[in-house]
Amino acid sequence: MVFGRFIDWIRNFFRLRQDISLGIYGCTSVGKTTLANRIAMDWAGEEVGKVSRIPHETRSIQKKEKIVIESNGKKLRINILDMPGLATKVDYRKFLKYGMKEKTAKIRAKEATQGIVEAIKWLNHVDTVLAVMDATKDPLTQVNITLLGNLEAKKIPVILVANKIDLKRAKPNNIKEAFPQYPFVEISALNGKNIGELYDAIIKHARKAG
Amino acid sequence: MKKFKLKKLKMDFLSSSLLDGKSSKSKINFILNKVRDGSILVMNGVLSSEEEMELIKETMRRVDDGFPGIEICSLKKQTKGWKQFFEVLSERRVKLQDFILQSLTGKSAKKSLKTGLTLIGPAKIIKEIKKNPDSFSVWAEV
Repeated sequence: MVFGRFIDWIRNFFRLRQDISLGIYGCTSVGKTTLANRIAMDWAGEEVGKVSRIPHETRSIQKKEKIVIESNGKKLRINILDMPGLATKVDYRKFLKYGMKEKTAKIRAKEATQGIVEAIKWLNHVDTVLAVMDATKDPLTQVNITLLGNLEAKKIPVILVANKIDLKRAKPNNIKEAFPQYPFVEISALNGKNIGELYDAIIKHARKAG
Repeated sequence: MKKFKLKKLKMDFLSSSLLDGKSSKSKINFILNKVRDGSILVMNGVLSSEEEMELIKETMRRVDDGFPGIEICSLKKQTKGWKQFFEVLSERRVKLQDFILQSLTGKSAKKSLKTGLTLIGPAKIIKEIKKNPDSFSVWAEV
């Protein structure tokens, strides 16, 4: 028992000496920035980025570095990387529906495509990924499948996060059933429900890649 | 009676052997050139998840006012037990071959498509794809 505690202490000591890059990935409008803000506010008292109802609000990678999270007496130092939402299409006309002018909408679309390219490139640099999915929507999208397949091929640890469980129509079990092979947590990044379970999962599963 | 003008929808059905001999980059270029021209591609094979991610990346580089992107859906053949074990073994062998070839010649190996079915089309035409584990439905608007 004493030996076990000693091993835990050693493990914690070395984990704290290494920063783990925690990438927050997922489709657009699944609540990635809301989640990044929740984690950063809980442990650093600062937000990571702006949240909006208009898709592709996050168009460049937003970071919050050297955040120490703690759960069950174990600590972990992480760099949060809030990624632009992945998509196979970006149509500027969609932004016009939110009252945006054509010129602004086209700039936003261009920045969104560049953000997606950057997010994909960063798959080679993240240590662990929170794959965020909207629990009110169908999880079997090609973007989700491709993302998880890539992470598996790169041997990057993944935690599936079913977000928006505060909404009545949320069906987090659909996500669990669609991808049963991954660690799974259902949360509301908006009101913080089950966020402690997510911290437990991060402490348990996050590790340096490679 | 009101007359409707019929608009045409072009679908290309491809045999996997058409892409089998190509490098990942060539496959992606081939697919995107066809899709940008307005074709919906149906292939009897699936790209690897790395190739699919590259396809998304390359699509984003080519998005403009007239081409908002693609819709893609694939069905992979599900294997279990020993078949799955041998498939994983075969994938590792291909990766090792690719690594050796790349180290020696700097060229990427030509990967074969995996067994399955893929549909890729312009997002301007394909409005929705609903996927189940063993099937998918497509809604298109011409």
